Amino acid sequence: MDVDLPADRVKAKDYRCRECGERFKGIGKRPMCPSCQSEDVDEI
Amino acid sequence: MNVPFSRDVLRFSGTHSFLLAASVLEPFSLCIETSDEEYCQGMSPGDLVAVSAPGGGPAEPALMLLELVRTHHLPLIVLPKDHPGSKRIPYVVSAGPEIRTNCSIIRGTHPEQHLICSSDELAGITLFGTPGGIRVDGLSPAISCGVIKNDKY
Repeated sequence: MDVDLPADRVKAKDYRCRECGERFKGIGKRPMCPSCQSEDVDEI
Repeated sequence: MNVPFSRDVLRFSGTHSFLLAASVLEPFSLCIETSDEEYCQGMSPGDLVAVSAPGGGPAEPALMLLELVRTHHLPLIVLPKDHPGSKRIPYVVSAGPEIRTNCSIIRGTHPEQHLICSSDELAGITLFGTPGGIRVDGLSPAISCGVIKNDKY
Protein backbone atom coordinates (compact mmCIF):
# COMPACT_ATOMS: atom_id res chain seq x y z
CA MET A 1 0.00 0.00 0.00
CA ASP A 2 1.28 3.42 -0.89
CA VAL A 3 0.31 5.82 1.83
CA ASP A 4 2.03 8.27 4.07
CA LEU A 5 0.94 8.39 7.69
CA PRO A 6 2.40 11.49 9.32
CA ALA A 7 2.55 10.71 13.03
CA ASP A 8 1.28 14.16 13.97
CA ARG A 9 -1.90 13.68 11.88
CA VAL A 10 -2.81 10.16 12.94
CA LYS A 11 -5.31 10.22 15.78
CA ALA A 12 -3.75 7.41 17.75
CA LYS A 13 -3.91 6.83 21.48
CA ASP A 14 -1.65 4.73 23.63
CA TYR A 15 -3.20 1.67 25.24
CA ARG A 16 -2.17 -1.19 27.49
CA CYS A 17 -3.94 -4.54 27.36
CA ARG A 18 -5.25 -5.73 30.72
CA GLU A 19 -5.10 -9.33 29.59
CA CYS A 20 -1.55 -9.67 28.32
CA GLY A 21 0.12 -6.34 29.13
CA GLU A 22 0.84 -5.45 25.49
CA ARG A 23 1.27 -1.73 24.84
CA PHE A 24 0.12 -0.38 21.50
CA LYS A 25 -1.07 2.65 19.61
CA GLY A 26 -4.75 2.29 18.80
CA ILE A 27 -6.89 4.09 16.24
CA GLY A 28 -10.64 3.97 15.81
CA LYS A 29 -13.47 3.66 18.30
CA ARG A 30 -12.88 0.09 19.43
CA PRO A 31 -9.25 -0.44 20.39
CA MET A 32 -8.24 -4.08 20.45
CA CYS A 33 -5.00 -5.67 21.56
CA PRO A 34 -2.95 -6.77 18.53
CA SER A 35 -1.41 -9.65 20.51
CA CYS A 36 -4.34 -11.36 22.22
CA GLN A 37 -7.28 -9.60 20.49
CA SER A 38 -8.75 -8.55 23.84
CA GLU A 39 -10.85 -5.41 24.02
CA ASP A 40 -10.11 -5.12 27.72
CA VAL A 41 -7.61 -2.31 27.35
CA ASP A 42 -6.77 0.87 29.23
CA GLU A 43 -5.78 4.16 27.68
CA ILE A 44 -2.43 5.28 29.11
CA MET B 1 -29.16 0.91 -1.68
CA ASN B 2 -28.78 -1.81 0.92
CA VAL B 3 -26.90 -4.94 0.01
CA PRO B 4 -27.32 -7.83 2.44
CA PHE B 5 -24.62 -10.45 2.38
CA SER B 6 -21.94 -12.00 4.52
CA ARG B 7 -18.89 -13.71 2.98
CA ASP B 8 -19.52 -12.38 -0.49
CA VAL B 9 -17.74 -9.39 -1.93
CA LEU B 10 -19.35 -6.39 -3.54
CA ARG B 11 -17.78 -5.12 -6.75
CA PHE B 12 -18.29 -1.66 -8.25
CA SER B 13 -17.02 -1.36 -11.79
CA GLY B 14 -16.51 1.59 -14.07
CA THR B 15 -14.97 1.60 -17.51
CA HIS B 16 -11.36 1.54 -16.31
CA SER B 17 -11.38 0.99 -12.56
CA PHE B 18 -13.10 -0.95 -9.82
CA LEU B 19 -13.67 -1.15 -6.10
CA LEU B 20 -14.24 -4.22 -3.94
CA ALA B 21 -15.87 -4.11 -0.52
CA ALA B 22 -16.83 -6.72 2.03
CA SER B 23 -18.05 -7.00 5.58
CA VAL B 24 -15.78 -7.98 8.44
CA LEU B 25 -17.05 -11.24 9.91
CA GLU B 26 -15.17 -11.47 13.19
CA PRO B 27 -13.41 -9.04 15.53
CA PHE B 28 -9.70 -8.53 15.01
CA SER B 29 -7.01 -5.93 15.42
CA LEU B 30 -5.81 -4.62 12.06
CA CYS B 31 -2.20 -3.53 12.35
CA ILE B 32 -0.85 -0.79 10.11
CA GLU B 33 2.94 -0.85 10.00
CA THR B 34 4.87 2.26 9.05
CA SER B 35 8.63 2.64 8.92
CA ASP B 36 8.78 3.75 12.54
CA GLU B 37 5.43 3.00 14.17
CA GLU B 38 2.64 0.47 14.51
CA TYR B 39 -1.01 1.53 14.65
CA CYS B 40 -3.73 -0.95 15.57
CA GLN B 41 -7.32 -0.49 14.46
CA GLY B 42 -9.99 -2.55 16.19
CA MET B 43 -12.29 -4.13 13.62
CA SER B 44 -15.76 -5.45 14.49
CA PRO B 45 -18.29 -7.57 12.61
CA GLY B 46 -20.13 -5.30 10.21
CA ASP B 47 -17.14 -3.04 9.61
CA LEU B 48 -15.86 -2.91 6.07
CA VAL B 49 -12.69 -3.71 4.18
CA ALA B 50 -12.36 -2.16 0.73
CA VAL B 51 -9.78 -2.50 -2.01
CA SER B 52 -9.63 0.10 -4.74
CA ALA B 53 -7.96 -0.30 -8.11
CA PRO B 54 -7.94 3.27 -9.47
CA GLY B 55 -6.14 2.15 -12.60
CA GLY B 56 -8.06 -1.07 -13.07
CA GLY B 57 -6.38 -4.44 -13.59
CA PRO B 58 -7.38 -7.99 -12.72
CA ALA B 59 -9.87 -8.45 -9.91
CA GLU B 60 -8.41 -11.70 -8.56
CA PRO B 61 -5.37 -10.14 -6.82
CA ALA B 62 -7.63 -7.46 -5.33
CA LEU B 63 -9.91 -10.17 -3.99
CA MET B 64 -6.92 -11.98 -2.51
CA LEU B 65 -5.72 -8.76 -0.92
CA LEU B 66 -9.14 -8.11 0.56
CA GLU B 67 -9.24 -11.60 2.08
CA LEU B 68 -5.67 -11.37 3.37
CA VAL B 69 -6.93 -8.50 5.49
CA ARG B 70 -10.51 -9.55 6.26
CA THR B 71 -10.07 -13.29 6.78
CA HIS B 72 -6.39 -13.75 7.57
CA HIS B 73 -5.91 -10.44 9.42
CA LEU B 74 -2.55 -9.67 7.84
CA PRO B 75 -1.12 -6.27 8.68
CA LEU B 76 -0.90 -3.50 6.13
CA ILE B 77 2.63 -2.46 5.29
CA VAL B 78 2.87 1.24 4.54
CA LEU B 79 5.59 2.53 2.26
CA PRO B 80 6.94 6.02 2.83
CA LYS B 81 5.73 8.65 0.39
CA ASP B 82 7.64 8.56 -2.91
CA HIS B 83 9.06 5.12 -2.21
CA PRO B 84 10.32 3.64 -5.51
CA GLY B 85 8.18 0.54 -5.08
CA SER B 86 4.92 2.47 -4.81
CA LYS B 87 4.41 2.64 -8.57
CA ARG B 88 4.28 -1.16 -8.75
CA ILE B 89 1.39 -1.44 -6.31
CA PRO B 90 -1.93 -1.01 -8.11
CA TYR B 91 -4.29 -1.50 -5.15
CA VAL B 92 -5.05 0.53 -2.05
CA VAL B 93 -6.87 -0.67 1.06
CA SER B 94 -9.19 1.01 3.52
CA ALA B 95 -10.99 -0.43 6.54
CA GLY B 96 -13.52 0.78 9.06
CA PRO B 97 -17.23 1.30 9.70
CA GLU B 98 -17.52 3.83 6.86
CA ILE B 99 -15.50 4.19 3.67
CA ARG B 100 -15.76 6.99 1.15
CA THR B 101 -14.17 7.03 -2.29
CA ASN B 102 -12.39 10.17 -3.33
CA CYS B 103 -10.48 10.97 -6.50
CA SER B 104 -9.12 14.34 -5.43
CA ILE B 105 -6.85 13.00 -2.73
CA ILE B 106 -3.39 12.07 -3.84
CA ARG B 107 -2.52 8.48 -3.13
CA GLY B 108 0.02 8.56 -0.37
CA THR B 109 -0.97 11.78 1.31
CA HIS B 110 -4.08 11.19 3.37
CA PRO B 111 -4.09 9.81 6.90
CA GLU B 112 -7.89 9.75 7.18
CA GLN B 113 -8.79 6.08 7.36
CA HIS B 114 -12.33 6.50 5.99
CA LEU B 115 -11.12 7.83 2.63
CA ILE B 116 -9.93 5.57 -0.13
CA CYS B 117 -8.27 6.75 -3.30
CA SER B 118 -10.36 5.97 -6.36
CA SER B 119 -10.63 6.90 -10.00
CA ASP B 120 -12.80 9.89 -10.90
CA GLU B 121 -15.58 7.64 -12.20
CA LEU B 122 -15.89 5.87 -8.84
CA ALA B 123 -15.58 8.97 -6.67
CA GLY B 124 -18.40 9.95 -4.35
CA ILE B 125 -19.47 6.49 -3.21
CA THR B 126 -19.98 6.08 0.51
CA LEU B 127 -20.18 2.63 2.06
CA PHE B 128 -21.59 2.07 5.52
CA GLY B 129 -21.24 -1.21 7.34
CA THR B 130 -24.56 -2.41 8.76
CA PRO B 131 -25.39 -5.50 10.82
CA GLY B 132 -26.91 -7.17 7.77
CA GLY B 133 -24.59 -6.03 5.01
CA ILE B 134 -23.52 -2.80 3.36
CA ARG B 135 -25.40 0.41 2.69
CA VAL B 136 -24.27 2.22 -0.43
CA ASP B 137 -24.83 5.92 -1.05
CA GLY B 138 -23.81 8.12 -3.98
CA LEU B 139 -23.70 5.43 -6.61
CA SER B 140 -23.76 6.84 -10.13
CA PRO B 141 -25.98 5.07 -12.72
CA ALA B 142 -22.87 4.65 -14.86
CA ILE B 143 -21.29 2.35 -12.30
CA SER B 144 -22.22 -1.30 -12.34
CA CYS B 145 -22.51 -3.17 -9.09
CA GLY B 146 -22.32 -6.91 -8.63
CA VAL B 147 -21.59 -9.56 -6.07
CA ILE B 148 -18.60 -11.88 -6.24
CA LYS B 149 -19.43 -15.21 -4.63
CA ASN B 150 -16.35 -15.95 -2.62
CA ASP B 151 -15.83 -19.41 -1.24
CA LYS B 152 -12.22 -19.80 -2.41
CA TYR B 153 -10.42 -17.88 0.31
